[in-house]
Amino acid sequence: MKVKEAKSVRKNKVKVGTYIKRYWTLYLLLLLPMTYFIVFKYIPMAYIQIAFKKYNITQSVWDMEWAKNHGFEFFIKAFANKDFLYALRNTLMLNLLDLVLGFPAPIILALLLNELVFKRFKRVVQTIAYMPHFLSWIIISGLALQLLAPSTGLINILLGKMGIDSIPFLNESKHWVGTYIALGIWQSVGWNTIIYLAAIAGINPELYEAASVDGAGRFKKMWHITLPGIRSTIVVLLVMNLGHILGSEFDRPYALKNNLVNDVSNVISTFVYTNGIKGLQFSLTTAVGLFQSVIGVIFLLIANNIARRLGERGIW
Amino acid sequence: MKKFISVLLACCLVMTSFSACSKKEEETSADTSKDVTKPADSSSSNEATATAAPTESTENAEVVDGKFVNTRKITVEVYDRGNDGGSKPEDNVYTKYIKEGMLRDHNVEVEFIAVPRWTEVEQINNLLAAGDAPDICVTYDYATIQTYAGMGGVVNLSSYVEEYKDQLPNLWNWLGTRNIYWDKDPINGDLWAIEAKLAVMNRTSTFVRKDWLDKLNLQAPTTIDEFEAMLVAFRDNADLLLGADADKMVPFSISSDVGWRCDHLSGSFIDPDITDKDYYVNGFDDRRFTQPGTKEAIRVLNKWYNEGLIWKDFAMYDAAGDTTEDNMMKAGYVGSFIHNWDYPYRNGEDSIQSNLQRLVGEDACYIAIEPFKDSKGTYTKYLAGPIDRKVFFPTTNDEPLASLMYLDWISEPENIQYLQIGEEGITHVTLDDGSIQTLAATDDNIMNSPLNIDYTITCNGMNLVDPDISLKSRALSYAGIDSALIEVADKISTHDGHIGKNVQVGKIEAEEGLGTSLSDKRDVVLCTSVTASVEDFDKIFDAGMDDYLKSGGQAVMDERKVKWEATYGDATQLPE
Repeated sequence: MKVKEAKSVRKNKVKVGTYIKRYWTLYLLLLLPMTYFIVFKYIPMAYIQIAFKKYNITQSVWDMEWAKNHGFEFFIKAFANKDFLYALRNTLMLNLLDLVLGFPAPIILALLLNELVFKRFKRVVQTIAYMPHFLSWIIISGLALQLLAPSTGLINILLGKMGIDSIPFLNESKHWVGTYIALGIWQSVGWNTIIYLAAIAGINPELYEAASVDGAGRFKKMWHITLPGIRSTIVVLLVMNLGHILGSEFDRPYALKNNLVNDVSNVISTFVYTNGIKGLQFSLTTAVGLFQSVIGVIFLLIANNIARRLGERGIW
Repeated sequence: MKKFISVLLACCLVMTSFSACSKKEEETSADTSKDVTKPADSSSSNEATATAAPTESTENAEVVDGKFVNTRKITVEVYDRGNDGGSKPEDNVYTKYIKEGMLRDHNVEVEFIAVPRWTEVEQINNLLAAGDAPDICVTYDYATIQTYAGMGGVVNLSSYVEEYKDQLPNLWNWLGTRNIYWDKDPINGDLWAIEAKLAVMNRTSTFVRKDWLDKLNLQAPTTIDEFEAMLVAFRDNADLLLGADADKMVPFSISSDVGWRCDHLSGSFIDPDITDKDYYVNGFDDRRFTQPGTKEAIRVLNKWYNEGLIWKDFAMYDAAGDTTEDNMMKAGYVGSFIHNWDYPYRNGEDSIQSNLQRLVGEDACYIAIEPFKDSKGTYTKYLAGPIDRKVFFPTTNDEPLASLMYLDWISEPENIQYLQIGEEGITHVTLDDGSIQTLAATDDNIMNSPLNIDYTITCNGMNLVDPDISLKSRALSYAGIDSALIEVADKISTHDGHIGKNVQVGKIEAEEGLGTSLSDKRDVVLCTSVTASVEDFDKIFDAGMDDYLKSGGQAVMDERKVKWEATYGDATQLPE
């Protein structure tokens, strides 16, 4: 038994050696992204300890004093902070809505695009749908104000001319959430179809032919061939999205928020900005960030596990 | 393909290894330069002290006739206001003047570091945390300095200002004991910052469109009821006043910084006989959010908002730096507003007033009025103390003496005068009576801030060598604006003024780190209260105030009360 193991290990080693020799250029190429991740993602992790220490601008992280309560002072403080709890609730709410409404949108759009027969029209539609992806949130928020502001926004002016009361798209909490989600979908839907369209392109055309012979119509083909064909892609993206359920982008809520909707627009990233960067409470906000990451990892693991149990490949 | 990849890779590798090398070289060269300068320093000090006996403080020995023997280098923060068509804040005519002067008079090289005006606190936080903060930092936010000081990040100036007093005559003359020691801790004597002096106490004014008053045959209002009637008249006569743009009418404009933009209004709801103690205990927020009376003032705004007298979209825009509201004023849609005492007249050709006259007509103008009477029938304006920005040195500052010399140089009357009025014929002309008339400048001569306050960091407000000329010139210092308008605003701004006093009770621990998060909260409460329905106003304001107090506001007030009583006992007024 042992001999066998040793043998296989040696065999493996030989294999690894020859692989590296044969594909050295590819491994060398891999070095660059690896360096990036080590320098910008792994080394900074040393500073996670700020969450457990009393932050001080003049000391190196290694010399800072440990926080009270066995280092958990700032975690306790965060959970006693009403603003943080609101931010947590809002982050979850906005991300869940994004997931429920925003995740299926590119799949549907990709299916629709795929059914277009007139290729040139398809390309034009695709290009127009991608474009918002290249706009920053600052620009989008500017557009939103021009279009949706209560008294000077174009849409509300038009509504007013038609005798309809202005709709508080941006200045009332519930409407703001709708605007936030809709703008998010508008910005990303086109871009996110790319990966699905690529997956659709990889489906064996013979399947469609066979289905036609069997008398399947468009919807039947979509349902029984296209969708199952891209199922693994959908699952991988869903798993990754679930990993971000507590993660929050900064520019989108920050650019779109205003003082009237603070009760829904205050999310974890903006909380960290106001209290950490503006208020210099780095320990508190690092603790919040760490909490956010840990929950993210847990979600990722659970989702991946479920995906594998359902017979999909998951992400590893 | 393979060949291409290997060539590409080789290039990448060579480049990365080069950059690594150059970094190393830089480091080592920096190291050696340090090594070189050290002995050079000591030798020069040896030379300098060859005649004098070597003393403990080597710095003294290195200064001869107020000049350093070896050139020193300091960095100075300057605000970047991002003005349209402004000059580069770290490189223009005025920075050149300062740089040349400092090198000539003190042998100190000065480098300016631009920090965005509207996010100064965030930026300085980052620079300090990274150890890259300028040697001389400036901020309006003392709480921030206190936070840094608590971490040991700020130089304690108390011994320096005394030790070098002889070398800092201008600084002491200009600021005096009052401003230099304004922030001195009464218990342990720590001094973390020096307060700049406010040469002009003016804070805010209430402005109204004079041409609209004339058109509607209205007198300038002198009570809040008259003011409200005027707003109603503006609203109801929009067709007459704005014609085709009638739907753009804004009788009264505020921004998302509601507290600042209702300054005179909220001031009139405070009991004019308020004691120093009460004013101090409730006075953490500089928009007077927790002062008794503020709620009633906001209730008035709420009423006006619901009657369509206030700009509907005010809360949508960021108060700092967004120009939407300014543009509405320039286009002539805004009837009245409260803002900085000279707000519509600032920025020469690009001022609100000049634009208004260009776009609407020669007779269009904003004039200051005084409609908010308090319970005693006076028009009390709550002014700050005679202090302005706070100057501090982070502990990364290795040149405290050179930095103090900079403050001294910048407080020198001739230098203040040059920076405030610039070059004869380019930025000003001298009139027959000696007073100075400001001209609109171009290119590098443009002052990015009124009177260059961003460079005269120890002084805010016109302060020429001759005080009489200063007084006469103040109204002439706005290029292209009728000086009569300035004189009115100037007078009203401080009329019945209540000048802030210096309460020295030591550090308030509870304030640490709360400044910005509490003022953000205050803005949210004020905005939501103003836009609430009249029935919901109490509910929303009270809930917001409750949240504000629980988030630290109450703790600050409690500690202020305790410290006051510990210092002044039962007295409710400060000793004169």
